[in-house]
Amino acid sequence: MTDLKFILRFLLLIVLQIIVLATFNFSQYVVLFFIPAAIICIPVRHGSIYALVLAFIAGMLVDFFSDGMLGLVTCALLPVAFTRDFLLKLIFGSDFFTHGEDLSIRRSGFGHVLFAVFLSTTLFITVYVIADGAGTRPLWFNLARIAASSAASTLLSIFTVNVLASDR
Amino acid sequence: MARGNEVTKIFISAAIFIVMEVAAISLLATSSTLHNIWLNRFSHRVMAFNWGLSEDVRGVFLLNRRNEELAMENHYLNEELRRYREMDRYMEEKSHMATSKGSFQYIPATIIKMSRNSLHNYIILNKGYEDGVQPHSGIISEKGVVGVVQAVGRRYSYGITLMNSNMNVSSRIGRTGLVATLTWNGVSTGSGILRNIPPHMEVNAGDTVLTSGFSFIFPPDIPIGVTGEMSNDDGVSSSVNVDFFQDFSALRFVTVVVNPFREEITQLEKGLEQEE
Repeated sequence: MTDLKFILRFLLLIVLQIIVLATFNFSQYVVLFFIPAAIICIPVRHGSIYALVLAFIAGMLVDFFSDGMLGLVTCALLPVAFTRDFLLKLIFGSDFFTHGEDLSIRRSGFGHVLFAVFLSTTLFITVYVIADGAGTRPLWFNLARIAASSAASTLLSIFTVNVLASDR
Repeated sequence: MARGNEVTKIFISAAIFIVMEVAAISLLATSSTLHNIWLNRFSHRVMAFNWGLSEDVRGVFLLNRRNEELAMENHYLNEELRRYREMDRYMEEKSHMATSKGSFQYIPATIIKMSRNSLHNYIILNKGYEDGVQPHSGIISEKGVVGVVQAVGRRYSYGITLMNSNMNVSSRIGRTGLVATLTWNGVSTGSGILRNIPPHMEVNAGDTVLTSGFSFIFPPDIPIGVTGEMSNDDGVSSSVNVDFFQDFSALRFVTVVVNPFREEITQLEKGLEQEE
């Protein structure tokens, strides 16, 4: 997949994320985010600085156009971009970086990709829920929200990986 | 070389991440008062932790000096405590001191050791010739006669108590004014005998026995005990039991009675004996 195609699809996912945030508010326990999976899918050949910049831009766009607090999504998305390389190395091995491969369900296996998406999404949701609560909500509520949102967002993120992964 | 580049990349990434994260957090703080308060509280906690940590680290480096300071302080406090204890003991000795009478000198003292279960019971006091104690000085308490000093060291003195078969005290029976010699009966821990009382003299039980003052050891009218039963010894003289006022088992503080003119009196006695 060319970089231009990737950027266009990435922007499309940002727009979809904004729509999802604006539309699907059916429970205070569940927030749906597939942007962390999009960060995971950024081609590794571009390096982590590129991922950080894209994460910052994506976060700011989502913050600005959704009905949330400015900086909240950005604040949660940047740790995902920063830990992305470490996470991918941990799950797919260092060969993944040596060959400069893109994330692919067919090559890496569905289980591995799902696990990577789950970890990055959970990291994002954890930071998001804690920052969103600002110390006012009880721990049990935060934990329940993290669990429910991580599960729901991971399932939704499989669609994101399908859109951005190099299999197409 | 490749590893060095990788480390540099990680550092640069970390720096960019920190800058961006700080920017995002700043935006979050400005967009909501609640978040502003929360972040301020968090930063205060971090600052407090840092200050505490730096104080701890500083404390570790200053530990040796602090230990020396504490040791010195401990030393001074111990000195002070010792002084207070000395003062306290002196005050206690003073409070137990018998009333001064006549020209005698009174020196408060504490009993270091005392025997109570032999025929020749003795007493050791914490005052010696440096404190003014002289041999043949009387030992009394606020309850009465205790004994007589026999030997004096620099800081301690040795004496015999009323419960010693060698101890004789010139005594006077309060109501009649009869003078007799009091000795220990050698059996009981709290009673003695007044001997050589003329048989025609009647002594009632319960009369107070005091020192006569006819010796240079004790001043007159120091209480000794109360009279008990009277008995006829051999038809020529009688004896009277005396129950001591002093409870020797509960004795700790005493007063040494020193006669400063004892030497002069002794010299006079010697001179008279030579003339005769």
